[in-house]
Amino acid sequence: MRLPRFSPSFYGLGLVLVVLAIIAPALPILSLTFLTSLLIYTALAYSINLITGLTGYVSFGHVVFMGTGGYALGYGVSALHLSPLAGVALGGAVGLVLALGIGIVTLRFRGVYFAISSLVTALAALQIVLVTPALNDGQGIVLSVGFQARNVFYTIWLIVTAEVVLTYFATHGRLGYGIRAIKSDEDAARALGIDATRLKLYVFMLSGLFAGASGALFAWFTSGVFPYVVFDLTFSLFMLAMIIVGGMGTNVGPFLGAVIVYVSYWYALTVPSLLGLAFAAIGVIVILVALLIPAGIVGTIRRRFPSLRGILE
Amino acid sequence: MSVRLVATDVHKSFGGVQAVRGLSLGLEEGRVVGLIGPNGSGKTTFLGVLSGALKPTSGTVTLDGRRIDGLSADKVVRLGIARTHQIPRPFPEMTVRENVGVAAMFGGQHHDPQDAMNEANGVLSLVGLEASADRSAAVLTAQERKRLEFARAIATRAKVLLLDEIFAGLSPEELRAAIGLFQKLQQELGFGALIVEHVMRAVFALSDRVVVIDEGRKIAEGTPQDVVRDAAVIEAYLGVGEAHAPP
Amino acid sequence: MVDAGFVVFQDLAYGILEGCVFAVVAHGLNLIWGVTKVVNVAHGEFIMLGAYGAYFLSAWFGFNPLLSAPIDALIGLGAGVLFYFGFLHRELRGKETVTLQTEMVTLVATFGLALFIVNLATSVFSVNPVGIPWNPGVVRAGSISLPVGSLEVAAISVAVIAATHVFLTRTYLGSAIRAYSQDIAAAQLVGINPTFVAAVATALGLSATMLGGALLTVWLPSGINPLMGQTFAPICFVIVVLGGPGKMWGSLVGGLVLGVIINVVPAFVEPSVGASLALAIAFLVLIPVLLFAPEGIVR
Repeated sequence: MRLPRFSPSFYGLGLVLVVLAIIAPALPILSLTFLTSLLIYTALAYSINLITGLTGYVSFGHVVFMGTGGYALGYGVSALHLSPLAGVALGGAVGLVLALGIGIVTLRFRGVYFAISSLVTALAALQIVLVTPALNDGQGIVLSVGFQARNVFYTIWLIVTAEVVLTYFATHGRLGYGIRAIKSDEDAARALGIDATRLKLYVFMLSGLFAGASGALFAWFTSGVFPYVVFDLTFSLFMLAMIIVGGMGTNVGPFLGAVIVYVSYWYALTVPSLLGLAFAAIGVIVILVALLIPAGIVGTIRRRFPSLRGILE
Repeated sequence: MSVRLVATDVHKSFGGVQAVRGLSLGLEEGRVVGLIGPNGSGKTTFLGVLSGALKPTSGTVTLDGRRIDGLSADKVVRLGIARTHQIPRPFPEMTVRENVGVAAMFGGQHHDPQDAMNEANGVLSLVGLEASADRSAAVLTAQERKRLEFARAIATRAKVLLLDEIFAGLSPEELRAAIGLFQKLQQELGFGALIVEHVMRAVFALSDRVVVIDEGRKIAEGTPQDVVRDAAVIEAYLGVGEAHAPP
Repeated sequence: MVDAGFVVFQDLAYGILEGCVFAVVAHGLNLIWGVTKVVNVAHGEFIMLGAYGAYFLSAWFGFNPLLSAPIDALIGLGAGVLFYFGFLHRELRGKETVTLQTEMVTLVATFGLALFIVNLATSVFSVNPVGIPWNPGVVRAGSISLPVGSLEVAAISVAVIAATHVFLTRTYLGSAIRAYSQDIAAAQLVGINPTFVAAVATALGLSATMLGGALLTVWLPSGINPLMGQTFAPICFVIVVLGGPGKMWGSLVGGLVLGVIINVVPAFVEPSVGASLALAIAFLVLIPVLLFAPEGIVR
């Protein structure tokens, strides 16, 4: 397989990631924690970008992978005595398999129906977890793994880097053409020989893998997994907001969106009375973007300035 | 001459509406069959069943003896049957070349995108769209879209083409050129085709055989000359007008 | 379980009564979805606003939900017009079918609206749940007790659904709306103004939604909170899909099915598991319906 030529935006992202990796050991704990959180949200953004941004299937319930990933780590570490790293891998594996199971059924549905199916799946999963004794019912699982800030940071860094690379290859290779065609006109795509069923499923499984791994890491990061936290629809909302603002289906968009949305959120956290209003503001931003610049920041720049298309992706 | 694509007693209903009622048809290798009939007679629906976009309510479709009804549309394409749509459906976010390239990549199974794009260039030259290769498919004229639709079907390397009104809306010179192009391509590439048409000039020039349907049923079949004299056909077409009279 | 049969009938009764209210709460979504083909993701938030409307009318003027409902309905009409011109008009104007792009844009924009309303409400109302202290007593039918309030709102709910049915089938404007929902181009050809029709349908839809929110408070003696929309919206989505988007009586069928599931399932399983399992089943019912009866289970 011939390697695609890498674009400047890819190198730019790569540079940012490399710099982060290098300076991490020198950072104070608070900054490292902030960056770790930011990378978790970035990872989630890239994950949903695969199925929603690139393929056009709006996954309202994407948080289900995060939740099950978190519980996979929780169960793995507390009951199976796995190391947290193995727990993250388990979270990814569980996310992959869950996406396969859910996708086989729900990817048959188009547009709105897929979105709603995805939503009810996440809600049902929460209810089921609440009454599952093996997962401590609704109590959640507390982890006593100690807080290894650097290990957590580098693990999520690895996840994000893998996603960035994968997203790049997905948008530039054969798979990219296939899913773009599917997003554009699925029936016409099939009429040209594109096995839409299989392609969608692959993308969804990858999406679930990364969201599951991120959820597992989140549980490690917060030393516990609690159902109302880890299945919180707010994460789904965040994920969508990030890629909508940044630019759905682009390579840089999820990162940009994550920075904008997460930094606003983090800032609002420091002023508790602002929290609800910060989210409300994010809501307004989403509305404005959807109605006025549906392609998001990166997407709209690419549209308005075609000469930049080779540079900014 | 072996019969490649065979439809046997195909029925297709949508709720209470019976669009196709027991239609049987055979297409031999490398031959052209014209499918004509008044508007609403079920031609496009029939094409949908043949191409896998629709599942027949009953009846079978076989390709080289193998049953293909009920297979997904993309599977049917990979088995060598490609269709065009009555109203072209290009991918507006891609260039003309990319549109054809996608067809070559997946239907034509050129797995490497670069190879597929090269192949696309070739196909675009064949149909005369090479000048627009880098333009967005969204800005093409209606005629260019029809040609793009046709180019995509060819790019899938299909041996059987199902063409839905590709000669519609052309001026007499354009029509002459299009018929000539079709004949040349058929010689070069050796495909068979089922052409759904209202433009009788094209049907006469290109078809080895013509099938006439009305209200989902076959009412005549034979050479173009025979069919046009058939009383049932004249009755079905009553009122269509002289614009479609044969040359 | 002592006298299990009795318990099930009681739950069934509750299920039917609550189901009627679910139906009217989902009815607005059904109307907007069926006519404009747009799904309002912020639907739950309008239910919540309706409930809060009833709460404040009760707290300030002592209105019970039956009185608040029509007031909420009026507010909903106004909100619907604003919502149409703010969110839908740009995308729907001049178009004869709803494209994938429109679907995506409205899905995302209404999602943003939901985010906005929920968080504004959380800031303004506080997260503490409130309730309306209205208890007109209970009637007994055999060994089953039926709260009067629930009976009354159920009756009003069914009446509202019936009224929309009559409106859509017996009035000129209603026929215009039905024509628009079937074929915009054809409707225009006979002189129907698509913008007017769509705006009216949206206004009626949000009106029904907020009215439903007010009636719903009878079932939430202490459960009115800013986040309630996030539970009821999915319930409404399932109801509309069950009944079939655009089929008016479908709201009632879907509502009853869900009402019964949510109330009756807990009677058959352990109490600690009951409520969650019932919700999970109610949500997941959507999947088989989409697989086997995508047009809804109502003919």
